[in-house]
Amino acid sequence: MATDDEVRLVVPSSPEFVRLARVTASGLASRLGFGFDEIEDLRLAVDELCHAVIGASGRPGALSLRFVLDGNELCVEGTGHFDPGGPPVALSQLSRQILTALVDRHDVRPDEDGRPVVWIRKRPVRSGQ
Amino acid sequence: MTTGQDERELLRRQFSEFAVSRDPALREILVNAHLGLAEYLARRFANRGEPLDDLVQVASIGLVKAVDRFDPDRAVEFSTYATHTIVGELKRHFRDKGWAVRAPRRLQELYLRLGEVISTLSQQLGRSPTIAELAREVEASEEEVLEALEAGQAYRFASLDAPAPGPDDEGSSTMASQLGEEDPTMASAEDRAALSPLLERLPARERRILFLRFFQGMTQSEIADQLGISQMHVSRLLARSLAQLRSLAESPDGI
Repeated sequence: MATDDEVRLVVPSSPEFVRLARVTASGLASRLGFGFDEIEDLRLAVDELCHAVIGASGRPGALSLRFVLDGNELCVEGTGHFDPGGPPVALSQLSRQILTALVDRHDVRPDEDGRPVVWIRKRPVRSGQ
Repeated sequence: MTTGQDERELLRRQFSEFAVSRDPALREILVNAHLGLAEYLARRFANRGEPLDDLVQVASIGLVKAVDRFDPDRAVEFSTYATHTIVGELKRHFRDKGWAVRAPRRLQELYLRLGEVISTLSQQLGRSPTIAELAREVEASEEEVLEALEAGQAYRFASLDAPAPGPDDEGSSTMASQLGEEDPTMASAEDRAALSPLLERLPARERRILFLRFFQGMTQSEIADQLGISQMHVSRLLARSLAQLRSLAESPDGI
């Protein structure tokens, strides 16, 4: 973490706050010289990521997001903080298909506490000027 | 409207058949047969600050859910059942709106101007412009450009009836008419099999654009070129369709 640029965001896990994740991601991507095409794709990918965590219409709890500038690559991670017993966080086959088209890499991994973290990574095709 | 007894009997048989076969083609027939009901109900929710076209989309989602869930053995007419489901979907749409108020006029204007500038710059540069380049061209800050793009993309602000912005706009052609026809690449049974059953439940034009982006791997710019519309519209349509897919997936009978 010493050399990484990192932004963290914790929002209620409800659809109207996903906008903040999109704005943050596109702002950071713009600094990395992402083109308009790539930023629009990234926006859709962040949508997909957030909703994979909170569901289509949200659920009680919090969504924590971590944005990392790793060289010229942007990494976005989303974790849900929910009461136990709700539906499990997972990427559907269709979500994976969508993310494959939108970002370079994506997956789900457990964090230190075993909570699932949905993550995406994307770098601009042409480095910005 | 002539809903004669024969027609009603035919629908009843189709519902019974669909309850067993779940045939997507039959689903489409049943949905199309009741689109008028969805539109009628959407109109009753108009004049509340939401574009009618968005409301029709929401009502159509409710209709699809109703077709999927309807039990023809129960002693209730489909139209009664569907009205309940569609109105529920429309009410939920307004309830979920939250703070999604209209973007300030300044951002709306900037968004429309960006539509033109993106097309022009993309042609000049032979690639997608960066946000910095866009900001320079429209003499705004990068933050303003990003805010405008965000405001424009939020699918609730977008209406398919709005004319496509940009130089490709003839004023008369709308998204809906341009996307109406079926894509030949969708035709083969193999391709259709590759699609998620969820996609089958979207209208043909949405399915086509999702297919080109996520299954054919075309970029948003390429799709825009192929369909002769602005890239902004492609982007908005994608965002909206994905939101609809999520809504469908989360319904109890989702896949």
